[in-house]
Parts: sequence; structure tokens; C-alpha cells
Amino acid sequence: MTELLSISNRPTWAIICPAVVALLILLSKNRPNIREGWTLLGSTILCFLVLSMTPVVLSQGPIRFEWFTLFTDIGFAFKVDALGLIFATTSSCLWILVSIYSIGYMRALKEHAQTRFYFCFALALVGAIGIAFAANLVTLFVFYEILTLSTYPLVAHDETPEAMYGGHKYLAYLLTGGVFLLFGILMTYFLVGTTDFAPKGILKPALDSTSRLTLQIAFFCFMLGFMKAAWMPVHSWLPTAMVAPTPVSALLHAVAVVKAGVFGIIRTVFYLYGTDLMHELNLGITLACIASFTIIVANLYAIGQDNLKRLLAYSTINQLSFIILGAAILSPKAAIGAMIHIAYHGFMKITLFLCAGAIMVVTGIKQISHMAGIGRAMPITLTAFTISAFGMCSIPPVAGFISKWYFCLGTIQADKVAFLFVALTASILDLVYFFPIVRTAFFDRLTEEKTKETGRPLFLFMIIPLAITGIFSIIFCLFPNMFHIFDLAQRAIKNLFGGM
Amino acid sequence: MTHQFSALIVILPLVVSFFVFLSNWWLKKTGYLLALTALFCCLLLSIGILDLVIASGVIHYRLGGWLPPWGIEYYVDTLNAIMLVLVSFLSFLTAVFARKSVEIEIPEKGALFWALYLLLMTGLLGIIVTGDLFNLFVLLEVASLSGYVLIAVGEKRSLFASFRYVVIGTMGASFYLLGVGYLYITTGSLNMVDLSLLLPKLYTSKVVLAGFIFILIGLGIKTALFPLHGWLPDAYTYAPTAVSAAVAPLMTKVMAYAILRIMFTVFKAEFPVTVIEVTDVMVWTGTLAMLVGGVMALSQSDFKRMLAYVIVAEIGYIIGGIGVANATALKGAVFHIINDAVMMACLFMVAGLIVYKTKGHRIDNFIGFFRVMPVTAVVFTVGALAVIGVPPTCGFFSKWYLLLGGIEDHQWFFVAALLICTLINVALFFRIFDKGIYLHAHGQNLDAGVAAIDTPGNDAPISMWLPALVLALVILLIGVFNQVIVETVIRHAVPAGI
Repeated sequence: MTELLSISNRPTWAIICPAVVALLILLSKNRPNIREGWTLLGSTILCFLVLSMTPVVLSQGPIRFEWFTLFTDIGFAFKVDALGLIFATTSSCLWILVSIYSIGYMRALKEHAQTRFYFCFALALVGAIGIAFAANLVTLFVFYEILTLSTYPLVAHDETPEAMYGGHKYLAYLLTGGVFLLFGILMTYFLVGTTDFAPKGILKPALDSTSRLTLQIAFFCFMLGFMKAAWMPVHSWLPTAMVAPTPVSALLHAVAVVKAGVFGIIRTVFYLYGTDLMHELNLGITLACIASFTIIVANLYAIGQDNLKRLLAYSTINQLSFIILGAAILSPKAAIGAMIHIAYHGFMKITLFLCAGAIMVVTGIKQISHMAGIGRAMPITLTAFTISAFGMCSIPPVAGFISKWYFCLGTIQADKVAFLFVALTASILDLVYFFPIVRTAFFDRLTEEKTKETGRPLFLFMIIPLAITGIFSIIFCLFPNMFHIFDLAQRAIKNLFGGM
Repeated sequence: MTHQFSALIVILPLVVSFFVFLSNWWLKKTGYLLALTALFCCLLLSIGILDLVIASGVIHYRLGGWLPPWGIEYYVDTLNAIMLVLVSFLSFLTAVFARKSVEIEIPEKGALFWALYLLLMTGLLGIIVTGDLFNLFVLLEVASLSGYVLIAVGEKRSLFASFRYVVIGTMGASFYLLGVGYLYITTGSLNMVDLSLLLPKLYTSKVVLAGFIFILIGLGIKTALFPLHGWLPDAYTYAPTAVSAAVAPLMTKVMAYAILRIMFTVFKAEFPVTVIEVTDVMVWTGTLAMLVGGVMALSQSDFKRMLAYVIVAEIGYIIGGIGVANATALKGAVFHIINDAVMMACLFMVAGLIVYKTKGHRIDNFIGFFRVMPVTAVVFTVGALAVIGVPPTCGFFSKWYLLLGGIEDHQWFFVAALLICTLINVALFFRIFDKGIYLHAHGQNLDAGVAAIDTPGNDAPISMWLPALVLALVILLIGVFNQVIVETVIRHAVPAGI
């Protein structure tokens, strides 16, 4: 028994756990309470499994294991390292909260096909955890595709023409990306004969046998492959995918799916190409320019949105590119900023989405222009919303401040001050579209009688998770090392740049 | 005893088919059981042969004790052995699957059907096992003739489809025979191994060139290689489901095997690759086949017809892979022959399951089948993902080798076509996923769907879905154990001298 739960087996369990949950959900489809029980149980176990690996990784280094061989020199292999744990911790912690939330949300709206919903949700978590722990590109690709395919039924959940359109667009974009990713993987394997992630990169030797252009093209194949990061101009699937039920938008399109894309880009930059090669091929600066463009333009788009979830989608696009930019600057401090922002942004953005969903369920309002005075009807929700909105604008004492601080230090460290201005401009633009919402919600007169958030027990299922994530958004600023996030980021950086 | 296996595997179904035929007049029920037993014995024999080949190398079996090159020789190396296992395994599973659908679709002539089915398998197994060019022609005709008849038993329009197949197929066989004749004139031998020793001195001969090209065209017609695929869509659409589940995956693959055999055993690799450079043409034909097959499949509203065009595209993968002609791509091509046979058998069985429920195989018939037929849904999902090439299904791995081979040889158009074809397959199959999963999204067409006909959870009988489920499992297992399979079997199946 102890053998089974030993540290080297825990990553296996972490990947199997959501898969088992998915099966159990299918089996107990006629008993909703038991079905949701499985989700809650599974998510809690997963969270403990992931958290229990953190101290070991911090003290003893990555945990490796291999299931079987795929191709010569490529195994179906996993390596739990610091960077992967940041992503896994975020996804698994938030899965618990979102599971509680979706019970309230799905039942209050009397949604159809709930078994399908929970099944696909659990499957998506298999994808997310697998991506976090993948030791090489092929393993990552396997889980990346699982994530794409399992989230498609979630996006198209409503089965309305609009939802079907959103779903098809989602598939068309992401699977095309998948094809580019596959090509990039094949090129990598062809050039260097391995696809294992290694700190400082593996593609350097390829420069002897091939031209710079080939490597640059391969890099763009990876970029297109990690289209889940929603960089512009391949972002437009994300706002369309907001037709999905809110728990999906919250966990998947603010955390698991899009962060999988960003995670992939960080892996590509630091673990495939390595900082030296990125400099040498001028890819760092190119990537930084794409990210800066996205940051500014996404924010401009967001200003014009009236639908709250679409606004949040553009805000997500902006913040994701912020993480990409942090990686592209290629300095240790900025990289720390990028990595911790994966976790911090996850907690903040999920709060915002959960709030949007709660407002929609309780009052039926989706448009910001109809939200006048809603803060008085739903004080807890809107307080959590305000806290996280502050975080998005990187105002202390919310978590967003810490990551942006490190990012700004990084730009100075790398002597690329131009990007410091991009970050600051972005923060101002964030203010421009988040503040009106807060003002409308709290200071405008309540125009019509709204339902109270304390009205029904089902609402509590929604209010409590968002209150918790809202509180965590502040805790992360006061104690940045919560869940060892900061230690993990520092640990990851140490391997990439060789000491700080 | 063991050294007789390679002859037994052909003779057994041939002899048993005669008894099955007789049973039509007497003890009707035994016919099916007899056929099934024979096929199961074939499966055991083929596994025995594979084991033997892996353990002790190539088997040379002389029919009647006549020495080659005068007598007929059966020649079994790793490539045939694995093909034998594939064909006998799929034909056995399809036979289990087909019992119910034969009872429904061809109630009167059950025993005759099984007799012909066994003859078809005799032909296919014989083509694989033989080491003699003329014997290959004979067995090709055995397989084709029984195939024509089996297809003609199907729906109303199957008679015409089968006639078209007869005409085109016979042309193919004639081309092949003509080509063999040319080779015989110049060398005086029909034995493959013997020919491979005699031919290198004659590589510059125009007669040999003509013979090779004729053979290639003849087999190309039988393989349904674009643009010679005209007979295939109709034939496979209107055939009884039991027949399309058996013929569609096997016939074209066995022919692709024959091409491989002629190109790399009878002729050595240097002839097609460097002397006449026909491989470049094959890459281009393969590339076009993929694209045309894919696009044509997209425009179909009938599931079986769509699958027929998918086969045209998949043949493009295989022929293109053979054309790239480096070790990696050939590994991919051989592996894809196996994978594609399994995937297609799996999907044609899904078609059969849907036909069992709805009496139709249009895509509209699929509406709501995820709810009504849960097992079918699982099988379909696995099969579709395999055709698309999503890991960890087997389709991904053969595609990987094909792509890698293409990259190694800088065949960028081939690589691009493969990737585009992947996306086309996504569109193809997600159209059906949509119909199957989302009941509310198709307001008016609901009547045709399974959901309107039956209640949720009421799948087809177990004798039908179990073989399909086994195939789905095989698809996953081949994927998971692909490295083992490639290293122990397929690596040795790749022709020497590449």
C-alpha cells in the first residue's frame, strides 16, 4: 500500500485520478448527487496528490517516470518539475472550487446533459495534468489533443446555432494548431533525434546541420501549435467560445486550456530552444513584439465590450500575452513574473468569471449596461469581482501586483525598457474598462428589483467558491509563497539561467 | 506439421467452402458454424506462421515437392506473416459480426454467402502467401470473382455497381497478367525469388519496363489508387454491410501488399527508385489521392460512401509512403496497411450497426446514436479518432512514420497533404459526432435518426457490437504497443536494400 502511494507513483495517480472520475461519472449518470460526489472527491484527491509532490520536487528535483516507449528515444514519459507543478497546482486547486460552483450553476439553470458536462470536464483535467507533467513533446501533444477534444462538447453544450458555431470555430482553430504542432514536433525529432524537454534547450546542436530559417519556421509552427494561448491574430476562437456554460469559461478558458497554450510556449522558449538560441535567432524579440501587440490590441477590444463574459475573454487574451511577454524578455526576473502569473492570474480571472456566472444565474443579466446598482443586491459577488479587477490592473494588495512587479524588474534587468511601457500602458487600459463596471455596479441607482444572492441555497454553492478565490487573490499578494508557487518559480528559473 | 501451415492456411478455407456450399441443401445451420470454425483455424494457423517466421526466418514451401522455379513456391517472410494474421483476424471477426446482418439482409441464401466468403478469404490469404507471379493472378481472380458476387447480393443498385467493378476489375487483372507475361518472355520464370535474381541484368530492357508498368497499373486498379478508383465508391456503398465490412478493409490492403511485394521483392528497390524513378510518380499520385479522396468524402451524405472515399485517401497515404521509399516511410506504409485495415473494418462495422437499427446508412441516420447505442458510440469514437490520427490510437503512429519519412526525404507536398488530410478527416468525422451527440441541434431531420426509432441504451445485439468493440480495443492496443510491434515485426517487414 505504501509502495503504491510512494512519491514516484504519485504522478501516475494524479493523471489517472480524473480519468477514473470521468468513468465513475458515466456509470452513475442516473444519480446526480453521487455523480457530483465523484467529481468533488476526485478533485480533492487530485489536489492533495499534486500538493504533496511540491516539497519533494523542491528538495530533490524533478520526479521522472515512463509508462511505455512510443518511438525510438521517445517514451510516453512524465517529468514532474517546478514549472509543471505551478500549472498543475493551479488547475487542481481550482477544479475543486469550480466543481462546487458548477453544482449550483448547472442545477439552478436546470441544464440538460449534465453527465456529459461533468464527464468532459473531468477528461479535460486529465489533459491539463498530463500537459503539466509531460516530459517530452509527444507526450505533451497527446494530452494537448485530449484537452482540445474533451472541451469541444463543453463549448457546444447549449446546442444552439450560436453554440455550435462557437464549437466548430474552436475545433477548427485548435486542431489546425494541433497539426502545426505535430509538424513542429516532427521537425524537432528529425533535427535532433529527441523531443525531451531540457533546461537550456535541446535544439542548439541543430544549428550545425540546418539553416537558421528552418529553426525559425519550426518556432512559428510551435507558436501556431500553441494557439490555445490566444495570441493575436489567432485569438478569435476564445471570445466565441464564451457561449459555453460559465464554469467551463472559468476553469477551462481562463485557466486550464489557455494556460496549457502559454505553458507550451514557455516550454518551447526555455526547454526546447533555450535562451541562447532564442537570442541568436532573434526569436525572443519577435515573440515579445507579437505579445506586446496582443496586449495592447486585446485591451482596446475589451474597452468596447458590453457583454461581460466577452470582455473577460479579451482581458484573458491580454493577460495571457503578458505571460508570453514575460517569457520572451528572456531575463530571470521577467520569467519569474510570467510563471507566477500563471497561478495568480488563474485565481483572479476565475473569480471574475465565477462572478459573471453568478450575476447571470441570480439576475439573468449578461450585459454590463444593465448592471446598474447590482452591487447592492449581490454585495459578496461584486466585492470579489472588484478585488480581482484590481488584480487585473495590478493594484496592490492583489496578486496581480506581485507578478507585474517582477515582470517590470525583468524588463529593466534585460535592458528592454520599451516593454516596461507596454506593461504600464496595459495596466492603464485595464483600469479603463474594469473601473466603469465597478462604478456601475456599486454607485449607480438600482433600476429594478433584483433577486438577492442569499435567496436560495443553490446560490450559496456559487457564492462560496468565488468568495474563496477572491480571498486567495489577496492572500497571494500578502504571502506570494502560498502553495510554494514562488519557490517553484524560483526553482524553475535556477535551472534555466544557471543561478540568479 | 508446422511446415505445412503455409499451405494449410489456403487449402483449409478452400475445402471447407465446398462443404459449406453443400450444407445449403442439407443442415442449413451448420454452414455458418463450419465457416466460422475454418476461419478460426486460419487465425490460429496464421499466428503459428508468424511465430515460426519470427523464430526461424523465411519459410519456403514447395507445393507438391516441385522445386522452384518450375513448381509453385509459397514464400513467407515477416511481411506476409503479419498480413496473414491481419487478414485472418479481421475475416474471423467480421464473420462473427456478420451473422445477424446476413440473416436480415440475405435470409434465403445464408450458406451460399458463407461459401463465397470463405472463397474470398482463400483468395486473399493465397495472394499473400504465394511466391509465384502466376499463382498470384489465379488467387487474385478467386478473390475478385467471389468479391463481385458478394457485392452484387446487396441493395438494389449493387448489381450495377458490381457489374462496373467486374468490368474495371477484369481490366486490372488483364493488365497484371499482361505484365507477368512480359516478364515471363524475357526471363522464362514466374517465381518471385528466382525473378529477383534474373531481373537485375535486364533492368534497362524496355520489355521489362513495360511489364513492370503493366503490373503496377493492374494492381493500381485493384488497389483503387487514384485516378483508378472509379469502381470503389459504388461497390462498397451498395454491398451488404457484412461484405463491405470484410471486403473494404482487406481487398485494397492486400493489393497494396502485392504492390509492395512486386516493387521490392521481385524487383529490387533500385529499379523503381533509381532506374525508372516511378516512385516520384507514386508520391504525387498518393498526394493527389489523399486530397481528392478527402474532398470527395467531404461532399457525401452517405456514411458508407464517405468511408469509401476515405479509403481512397488512405490508399494515397500508403502508396505515397511506398513512393517516398526510405526506411521510415516504408515502415509507415506497412504499418498503415495494418492500421487502416483495422480502422476501416471498425468503421464499416459501425455502419453495419447503424443499418441494423435504422435500415439506412445516410449520415442523417446517425442522429442521436450516442444516446441510443452507447457501445457503438464508443467504437465509432475510437475508429474516427484513429482515422483522424489522434494519439494514442494506432492511426497516429503510422502517420508519424509517414510524415517523418516525408520530412527526411524533403517531400514537402506529401507532408503537407498528409497534414491537410488530417484536418479534412476532422471535418468529416466531427460532422457525425455532432449528429450523434447533439440531439437538439438538428430540428427537422430528427425522424431519420436512431434517436427517433429506438429508446436510449438499446444497442444492437451483442454478437454485432462485441467484434466491433474488440476492434476498437485493438486500435488502442496497437497504439500503445506500437514500439513493440514496429521493432519486432514491422522493422523486418520493410524490404531490404532501402
